[in-house]
Parts: sequence; C-alpha cells; structure tokens
Amino acid sequence: MRNPSLIKEEFLKRWIIALRRCTSLKKNMNILERNKVVKLSADLAMASARNGTTSWSRALIANATRDNDNRILAEQILGPESEILVKRVSTMPFKTCNRRKIRSKRILKRSCSSAIRRVRKTVPRKVLANCIAKRLIQKRTHILKSLVPGGEFMDETTLMEETLDYIAYLRVQVDVMRSCTYC
Amino acid sequence: MNRALPEMLHCLSGPGNGTDITVLERQRTRVKWQHQEQQNYFVGNFQDLVGDGRCGSVLRHVVTHSVKPDPGFEMNSTITRTSSCPHTEAQVAPEAKGKVSEPAEKMSSTVGRESYKKRKADKVQNTKVVAEDDAKDKRSKVCAEEGESKITTEQTRTKNTTTHPNNRETSADTSRENSKASEVQKPDYIHVRARRGQATDSHSLAERVRREKISERMKYLQDLVPGCNKVTGKAGMLDEIINYVQSLQRQVEFLSMKLATVNPRLDFNIEDLFAKEIFPACSANFPTIGSSSEMTNPAYLQINPAQQMVACCGLEMGVNTPDLMALRRTISAPVSLPETYFDASCFTQLQPPSTWDADLQNLFNLDSNQGRSISFPSQPFTGSIEASNLKMET
Repeated sequence: MRNPSLIKEEFLKRWIIALRRCTSLKKNMNILERNKVVKLSADLAMASARNGTTSWSRALIANATRDNDNRILAEQILGPESEILVKRVSTMPFKTCNRRKIRSKRILKRSCSSAIRRVRKTVPRKVLANCIAKRLIQKRTHILKSLVPGGEFMDETTLMEETLDYIAYLRVQVDVMRSCTYC
Repeated sequence: MNRALPEMLHCLSGPGNGTDITVLERQRTRVKWQHQEQQNYFVGNFQDLVGDGRCGSVLRHVVTHSVKPDPGFEMNSTITRTSSCPHTEAQVAPEAKGKVSEPAEKMSSTVGRESYKKRKADKVQNTKVVAEDDAKDKRSKVCAEEGESKITTEQTRTKNTTTHPNNRETSADTSRENSKASEVQKPDYIHVRARRGQATDSHSLAERVRREKISERMKYLQDLVPGCNKVTGKAGMLDEIINYVQSLQRQVEFLSMKLATVNPRLDFNIEDLFAKEIFPACSANFPTIGSSSEMTNPAYLQINPAQQMVACCGLEMGVNTPDLMALRRTISAPVSLPETYFDASCFTQLQPPSTWDADLQNLFNLDSNQGRSISFPSQPFTGSIEASNLKMET
C-alpha cells in the first residue's frame, strides 16, 4: 500500500489549490454552495491525484463533468490538466455497453427469480440455504456497487480492488478534513 | 511437414513474451504430433527447451542418449520436469507470492499433464491454472525428491523400455502436483490445474480461479476494514465493508458541511499544511492532552476525547497539538455552533482510545444523534441544516 502520509499531503495540496480556484471565481456563496464546492473540490482533488489510474476516480470525474452546471466549476477546479483528464475519462467506454448490460441483467434477474420460486418448494434444505446465502451476497454486492462510484459496471474482482482503493481515499479525506476543521 | 513443427515451436518460443499463448499453441501442436511422429516431436520439444535457454547441455546429453519413440516421449516429459524442477526451486524463493511462474515450468507441467492424460485417454484441457500456495516449500521439496528419483530411474530406463513404471511415476507425480497450484502473472490464458477429486471441465476451473481471486482481495479488505476479523464468510464481510464505506461517506459529508459553516470564506491556512508535516514529532504530546482538556470549557471536553481517539486511530498521531492550539483560539471565537452538534450522549461511552472501532461507534452514535440534535440549531442555519439532514438520510 502506498504511504498514507504522502497521499495525505498530495490530497491536501490539491484540495487547497482547488478551493482557492473556486473562491476566486465567486466571492460570496451561501452555505449550500459552499458545501457543494468543498465536496466537489475534495472529490476532484483526490480523483486527479490518482490520475485516472483507478476506475472510481474516472467515474467521479465523469459524473462531475456530466451536468452542465458543475461542468464549468469542475473544469476550473481541475485547472489546466482538466482537458487531458476529461479526454482520458471520456474515452472509457462507460455508458453504451453498460446500458445493454444493465438491461440484460434485469431480464436475467426476473427470469431467475421466477425460476427460484418454482424450485423452492421441491428442493432440500441444504440447497435452499445455499441459494439464500447466494442471494444475500448478491444483494450486498449490489449495494456496494451503488456505493462505490462507477461500481455498477464492474465485475466482482475489480469491484473489490476499487473498494480497497476507495476506502483508502475516503480515510485520507476524512483525516484531512477533520484536521482542517479544527484549525 | 515434419520439419515444420520444430521450426514452428522455435519461432513461437522466440519472442518469449506471449508465454501463455505459445504454451497453449505448443500444447496443441504437440497433441497433433504425438500421433504422427514421436521422434520429431521429441526433437521439437528439445529445441523448444534450448530455445528457452534454460536446460542447456545436461538436457542435450540426456536427450540424445535416449532415443526411443514411445518411451522417449515419456522420458522427455520426465526429463523436462527434472530439469526444470531445480529451476523452480531456485526461483521459488525470490518469487513474490503467487505472482510469477516460468514458461519452462509451465511447459513441463503441461507436458507432464498431457502424458498423464494421454494415458487416461482424457481430452486435453485447454484452461489450466497453476496457482501458487503457501505449499511452495512443500512443492520445492517434492520437486527435489522427484528430481532425484527421476534421474536415477531415468538412467535405468535407458536400458529398459517398459512404459508401466513410467506410467506409474508420471501419474504419481501429477497427482502430487495436482494438489498444489500457482498463479500466472499476466494471463492471456489462465492455466489451471484441476485438484484431486474436483471437476475438471473448463467452466468450473475458471470459476474456481475467479473465486480465488475474489477471496484474495477479501483478505486485503479484511486488513483494511476494522472489525472484519471477527466475521467470516463473504456475506458478513461484505456487510462490514458496506457499513464502513457508508460511514466514511457520511463523515465526509458531515465534515464538509462543517467546514462550509465554520469557514465562510473557505480560506485555509497554510499553517495546517505545515502542522501536518510535523505529525510524527507530535505523538509525544498525546498524554498531556488528557490533562489539559479538563481545564478547557466543558463543551470542548466532548471534543477532545474524540480528537484523541481520532488521532490515534487515524493514520497519524500528531494532529493533537495543532488542534489543541486551535481549540484554545476558538474558545474566544464566537462561532461555536458546530460544536453543539456533539450531543453529550455521544461521548458517554468513551473508552480508552485505542481502536478505530471505538471511534467508528462514536461516529455512528453521532450520526444517529445528528437527526436528533439537528432540531436545536440557531436561526441562520435552519435551512441549511435541513438540507444537510436530507442529504445524510439518503
């Protein structure tokens, strides 16, 4: 694992730079805007620190630049590197193939659930327990996918890797922000 | 066409990069060739090995001396194994866990396996994984054993031409090797070996590979996520992971909200940057904070323990001094609203700060208390708090 203090420093630097850029844009923001700005800048700072190597960072940037309102802000925050990053992010084949995947998954789920209903009555207990365990795991992976940015479109192995990375990032973010608030 | 195979094999092994693909190709070509001409196959394999540059003169001697068609093939397989075993032994030690394997080793194992399967008249498996265990040492020892036994038996075999001892040997070896596994670093094809008593069709093998990968990553996650050690099984660990990620995200939201309220102009000192860099030096100040906290405002008493816990649970311990200084500064400051969020009940369960778990629990309480304590803010913040409340509920 990478050295956490290095990650922290990197994150802090980028974040402060991003915040300064934002404040130079607009002087008097109300609290909601500030909240948004803080979060956005923090997210983008960390995501850019990863330089598009991890999937969740790309997803974060993609989400940020998707809405037109945020887009300008995001690009300002990212600064001169934004173009490169955005290009790299957009080249990832995110949207099109995944809609197909999602549709097919939904169909599969529906057919599976009906099949399970049929089978449930005639099946011995062990197999049933197995089925239930599998369902639990499936549900939880689904939840995890919704939590990790860009996680919906991954298979399980990459999902695990991304979660690892994402957890490390979140920890760093929390630590940095907490120490900032107490200053 | 007789010449084609050795050349083909040779040029396949030439680039040396696509090891997995070439091994598969080699497998296929070998299967074809078995039926046609053992001799040429033998020579082709030999050339192959020479092309790899691993086995060298010893092999050459051995190979040239034992010139028989069918046993020649078996010998060839055993030879490859013997010659490559010392190599695997030597390289097993510096190898990182389960990451690198050699083409020669793979090849020998595939060849050995092929011979085994040919005996059993099974079809050749396309996907095989040789994944490495902690039984690496065991395997290296066994390899050494095998090596010795092989060399001795092989010398006698040059005189006898019976296939049966061969058969038994190879089957014994492959069955022993069947219980081990090692992983290839960058598979275009993943080579799996079916373990004893397990299904051998490619689907279940691939499935098993996938499962092993996932369980490996789960282990890393176990180290990272606190409290995961007590839970076994995928579902429980996933549950913990989800809770942890959710709590971290909630913390981030809360902290960003707090930052936004505390700091109307969003300007941060560079001092805190420097303060962070003197982290490691500050860890000694930790015990003094406990005493000093009692002197401060009771409202801040609640914060200090949190700080302490945060400090030792977090990645660095040195947040203390700058925070304490900041506290002293802020005592005089009028803005103290975010502190009211800290309900007294949050910290009644304080334990000696030692683990991230305790901190997490507190934060959970905090989060649950958020909903309650949000109702008593001062006026300017009502609208925003409701908005943040909404955000946190989702």
